[in-house]
Amino acid sequence: MSSVPQTVVRDEFEAVDLGSASHGDVARKLTIFERIYEMDSVRKFSILLLLMVAWEMYTRVSGVSELILPKFSDTAAALYSAVAGEQLLIMVWNSMTILVTGYAIGLAIATVLTTAATMTRFGSDVLSTLTAMLNPLPAIALLPMALLWFGLGSESIVFTLLHSVIWPVALNAHTGFMGVSETQRMVGRNYSLKGIVYVVKLLIPAAFPSILMGLKIGWAFAWRTLIAAELVFGGSISDTEGEQAGGLGWFVFANQMDMQIPHVFAGLFTVILVGVFVENIIFTNIEMRTVRRWGMQSS
Amino acid sequence: MSKNVPELVMRPEFEAGDIQDAHTGDVERQLSIFERVWNINGVRKIVILFGLVATWQIYTVALDVEPLMFPSFTLAAERMLNDLFYGDLIWKIWFSVKVLLYGYGMGMGIAAVLVLWATASRLGSDFIATATAMFNPLPAIAMLPLAMLWFGLGTASLIFVLVHSVLWAVALNTHSGFKNVSQTLRMIGENYGLRGVPFVWKVLVPAAFPSILSGMKVGWAFAWRTLIGAELVFGASSGSGGLGWYIFESSQNIETEGVFAGLFMVILIGIVVENIVFRNVELKTVNRWGMQR
Repeated sequence: MSSVPQTVVRDEFEAVDLGSASHGDVARKLTIFERIYEMDSVRKFSILLLLMVAWEMYTRVSGVSELILPKFSDTAAALYSAVAGEQLLIMVWNSMTILVTGYAIGLAIATVLTTAATMTRFGSDVLSTLTAMLNPLPAIALLPMALLWFGLGSESIVFTLLHSVIWPVALNAHTGFMGVSETQRMVGRNYSLKGIVYVVKLLIPAAFPSILMGLKIGWAFAWRTLIAAELVFGGSISDTEGEQAGGLGWFVFANQMDMQIPHVFAGLFTVILVGVFVENIIFTNIEMRTVRRWGMQSS
Repeated sequence: MSKNVPELVMRPEFEAGDIQDAHTGDVERQLSIFERVWNINGVRKIVILFGLVATWQIYTVALDVEPLMFPSFTLAAERMLNDLFYGDLIWKIWFSVKVLLYGYGMGMGIAAVLVLWATASRLGSDFIATATAMFNPLPAIAMLPLAMLWFGLGTASLIFVLVHSVLWAVALNTHSGFKNVSQTLRMIGENYGLRGVPFVWKVLVPAAFPSILSGMKVGWAFAWRTLIGAELVFGASSGSGGLGWYIFESSQNIETEGVFAGLFMVILIGIVVENIVFRNVELKTVNRWGMQR
């Protein structure tokens, strides 16, 4: 019986000092400062500016050695001079040519693999075994073998790039295709789509979010692999004029070796710029025109 | 008006002459033993694996390929087992894994602090958005020359680079995961009187876990690639060197079977982490919570 709760009667009391209710400003005009501060880009831009100022102040005040952390202004000057005078643009171009070549060939091979995998169960098994094995293998680890097989040249880098692109793209495309709902497949068959037309008009659009994801991961891996490969062996890739121009990674590495630290930072900035350009302009645009417009993915 | 009325077409009548009896095939039949075995997924995959290995072996032996260019499978496997049990390969692996764990742990810690700040204030949120947009496209390995300048030729610079490769991927995914937690879930949490860290830990983290987990996976992939790359280049810096250094050393000594042995180990570790560690985390969290099939 002890588990029955007792009824508690609280003492009565009178609240004396309530004061009158008051609202705050329910609606008021924002000041100009607040309105500017509401803009997303302004806030982000001012954070960037703040970081730069902090960097500049820190290097000036603490007197850090130029070799450890150069001033921001020096870095900017180095970037300008590298772009204007010293082949930086040519190096970016060299890097991008190799990257695009590797990426394109990789996509083609991935397409063939995925097609085989979608058509037959045997192909699907081969693909899943290969990706399970080779996807966790960092492409850069193959570089020593590639150098042995293809010599010191852009072929070796293209080979490693292929490896870094094929597996994520094929894996994602295949999972995308497998995930296309039976209803959509039947609609396609009802329209009597078959073979290539069926793939292009039905499977690819239906699996596009996943394919795009694969393309993005492939790009990220390829970009990282390329920079790493160039850091190591970039100087050995002769450019078309026969001069040793190398790529962007080589620019960073060579300048570090020469203790030109502002130039190292300038190289890093360029790497960031290229990356931001590809990710935020190219891929975002593709996304806007496809998966978002088709309503397959929100924001 | 009358133009729009379609004409009526009368098809000529005809008689279908030669319709045969309907014939049904085997609607149901016992599968042969071969078919039943072949239907097991694992069997097919192992057969494929064996096929690949056999092709490799036959190709190298039959064509008598120079072992320096492309060693046969048995040579590579022998070398791997040999170094694993009698050499110091296992210590090199341990060295790599240790550095990786340090870097990964620190990266996760910093990412957690950043994301907490971002949930607490708009300034933090803006900061994280700007920083990830800037640093995520920067391959961590490109920071290695700077890291070596700042921290010297040692494990510290490797860890710095690893932190860089983990931090932004995890922070980006976690932050966007938090932002997408539905208002209803948030209000339920607030209704229970959760605030600050308990609110993040008990509501936001479980609700955003699929996204956090995918950030952790991407972070692992980047970190693993960065580590191998960094060791390939500058690995011997801290005395013993890791797995990447083992590969590089073998290739410098033109011991190609050693390179392949190293690659096998890299693949094995990658498979263990991706298919065992992360798969189990997935099974115990998002799959069990019914957030992901």
